[in-house]
Parts: sequence; C-alpha cells; structure tokens
Amino acid sequence: MAPSLLHPPSHLSPSAALQLSQKAPAVLASSPATISNTPITSLFSAKESSDLWLRYENLLLSCLRTGDEQSANQCLERLVLRFGESNEKVMALKGLVKEADASHNGDLEKVLKEYEDILADNPTNIPITKRRIALLRSMGRIPEAVTALIQLLDFLPTDPEAWSELADLYLSQGMYPQAVYALEEVLVAAPNAWNMHARLGEVQYMAASSIGAVDATYQKYLAESLKRFARSIELCDDYLRGYYGLKLVTSKILTDSGKSPKEVKPTDLDDFVLPTQGIVEKLNEAATEKLSEIVRRYTAQEAHWKGYDKEEIAAAKELLAQDAPQTTR
Amino acid sequence: MTWISKTVTFTGLVLLAHACYSAVEHTTLQTTLSTTTVSPTHPSTSPASLPLDISLETLFSILTITFGFALGTSPLRPIQWRVWAGLIEREGEEAFTNADGEVSRDYVGNPFKMLETRPGFVDIRRQRKEFAEWVKHGRDKQLELL
Repeated sequence: MAPSLLHPPSHLSPSAALQLSQKAPAVLASSPATISNTPITSLFSAKESSDLWLRYENLLLSCLRTGDEQSANQCLERLVLRFGESNEKVMALKGLVKEADASHNGDLEKVLKEYEDILADNPTNIPITKRRIALLRSMGRIPEAVTALIQLLDFLPTDPEAWSELADLYLSQGMYPQAVYALEEVLVAAPNAWNMHARLGEVQYMAASSIGAVDATYQKYLAESLKRFARSIELCDDYLRGYYGLKLVTSKILTDSGKSPKEVKPTDLDDFVLPTQGIVEKLNEAATEKLSEIVRRYTAQEAHWKGYDKEEIAAAKELLAQDAPQTTR
Repeated sequence: MTWISKTVTFTGLVLLAHACYSAVEHTTLQTTLSTTTVSPTHPSTSPASLPLDISLETLFSILTITFGFALGTSPLRPIQWRVWAGLIEREGEEAFTNADGEVSRDYVGNPFKMLETRPGFVDIRRQRKEFAEWVKHGRDKQLELL
C-alpha cells in the first residue's frame, strides 16, 4: 500500500518515495489544477479542500527527491496559481526546487543570495529563514548555520522544530552539552513527545560514552539518560526504542558499578541521583523481558503487534543476543 | 457483533412501528366511539389517554433501539495518553483502520515525528543523493541476481 500523501514524506524509505512519485502523473491528472473562487463556477466544479494543497506539497517533495522535475514543477505551478508568488510557504518551496536543480556550488550561492534578498525585505519570513539555514548546513557551512539558527530562535523561542534542528547540528559537531540543552528546550515546548524523550536519553547516553572515565558528569549523564528513557516508556506503552535505551543504560550502569566503589555525591540538589543497584537491576530485567516479548510477538506476526519497524526489531534482537550468553552462564 | 446489533435495532424499530400503529388505531376508535355514542356520564375516556400497554411498548422499543445502536458502535479510542501512543507504536495504521479497510482521516502516526524529520529544514540535495545511490545500489543488486 502506498503511503498517504497527506503527511510530510521526508521520513519515508526510498522505495516508498519512489512509489509516491510514480503516482504523481495520475494524481496530477485527477486533481483540479485551479479552484475557481467566483461563486457561480464554484457551484459546478469540485469543492476546494485543504487536503488538495497538502497533497500537492507532499507530492512536490517526493518528486524532487526522486528527480521527477516535471511533476514537481507542475505541483509548484498549481500552488503558485492558488497562493501567489508572495506566499511565504510557496517562496520556500520555490527555493527548494531551485536547490534541487542546482548542479554546482555557484548555483547554490545564487539561491542563497536570493534567500538573503528576501530576508532583507522581510526578516520575519520563517519558512525562508529555515530554508537558508538548511542550505547553509547542506553546503557544509555549519558555524554560519548555527549562528542563523540561534538568531531565529531569538525571536521564535517556542518553535520545537528549530530547537530540534539546533540539537542535531550541535550533535553532528560532537557538542553534547549544547545538544542536550537544545533538546531540553524541545521538551519544554512538547513535553509529551515520547520520541523526543527517548532522543534526549540517547544523546545523554552518547555524551556519557564520549567521556570515557567514570566521574561525576559521566554519572550525571547516565542518570539523566535513565530518567529520560523511563519517561518515554511512561508516555508510551510497549515503546521499543524506550526499552532498548533503558536496557542499554542499565547494563552500562551495572557494568560500571564494579569500577567505581565510591558513590559520587551529587553536587547540586536538582541533580537526579542514580537509583540503588537493586532498582537498576530490576529495570534491566523488566526492559529485557519487554524487549523479548516485543521481538517474539512481532516475529510471530501476532495481531496488533505488526506496527514496529523491521530494522528496530532486528537491532533489539541483536542486543538481546549479546545478552544471552551472560544469562545462561 | 454487527449482526447482533442490527437484529436488536431492527426488532426495536418493528416494535416502535407497531406501537405507533396501535396508538393511531386506538385514537381513531376512541374518536369514532365518542362521536357516535354520546355519553356525558363517562367523560373520563378522552381520546388523549392511551392504554398502558401501548405506552410501555413504546418505551421498551426505544430502549431496545438505543441498546442496538450502542452495541453497534466501533471500538472506542483510548483516552489515556500512553495507551494511545502505544497503539501508534505497536500497531501503526492498523489500529486506526475501520471495517472498510480505510485509515481514519485524522491518523497521522506519531505526531511528534516531525520533530525528528523536521520538514522545514529538509536537505533536499542530500535526499536526492541518497535516493540516487539507492537506485544504483538496487540496480547492482539486480545485476548480481542475474
């Protein structure tokens, strides 16, 4: 079954994107190109729905990805006809098409220049600001992208998407404390996002792993990571990613507990202290149990258990397999 | 399950129709009786009062219809956040598909997924490159198979 055109397609697999973009000519032929806004003609033509324009936008993104420029341009034309050249979102989509068409760096510089001209006119054009940052990042100019993103967040501090992008940028540079801070801002804006809790747990786990030595910061990261994974499971039943992380963190804490005989005292009252070893062991057992249940039920293709990602299940299987020799001994 | 609810609802509807018909018949009979035989000694038999069994039948039929409808409702959506989120993760689209195999219109998967995919910051050039590589890779694989 082809994925729905009503959702942004950027997370889809290449095959799904190909499927979508192969549908493009049919979708374009069957949907109306323009919607009349005079009352009399609108009586006879199809009714306008917001879905139609969403569909065009997502189709445009899929087609650009697969290199079907003709359909992409057709989608863009229809969007321009409906919303006009000066619509901020349409401007960003036009820029996106130009970026995709660009063959060398000179073209990209030109597109960047255009973005800067638009922003000189109207500095609060959010979609174009985001495009400019994405383009800077794509061109490898990370410091500039970070500066621009921080400027954007200065006047738009409640946008979780931008904070999340900042976290990703910092993470790509190995700046863990900054990435953790940005992800915490995401959670301030979207406190119920279970995947972002798991993401923060992952980043904190990475930060702890990057330290190497067992010291106070290391323990703090692990404790925070444990807390985040536990929260993500609290927000979402049978969350594979959360249990996977929980198992990883608790195993690490348990293997470390032999190395550091002396308990590290928390320096700050706000700091989350690691729970006692008994609790950590129990958490580890619970995570192992749940993971094996998920893997077993998914592999048996039981009803109501088919929604997981295949690769995530494979990863969980691998993690459990690593653990198996230790438990049988 | 649906056939039970449909039978119950249908029975209720039949009963309701029967009650209505009886009420109409009863009133016509009363009015004709009262016009033909004028009896000032019995003013209590006004056409407005219905016999008890018709009223009871009406009430019973309405209750039956309501029960039938209640039986036929689609399963309720979870109202607890973690249950709902778990449903999305564990079952995906399947949990939000109705009997006709259509995915519910308001189903968006994990609504917070966009915080990780970030459509506003999409790097289209990298996506294109990855897609081209995927196509090439797939072709190589096909050639290997041949």
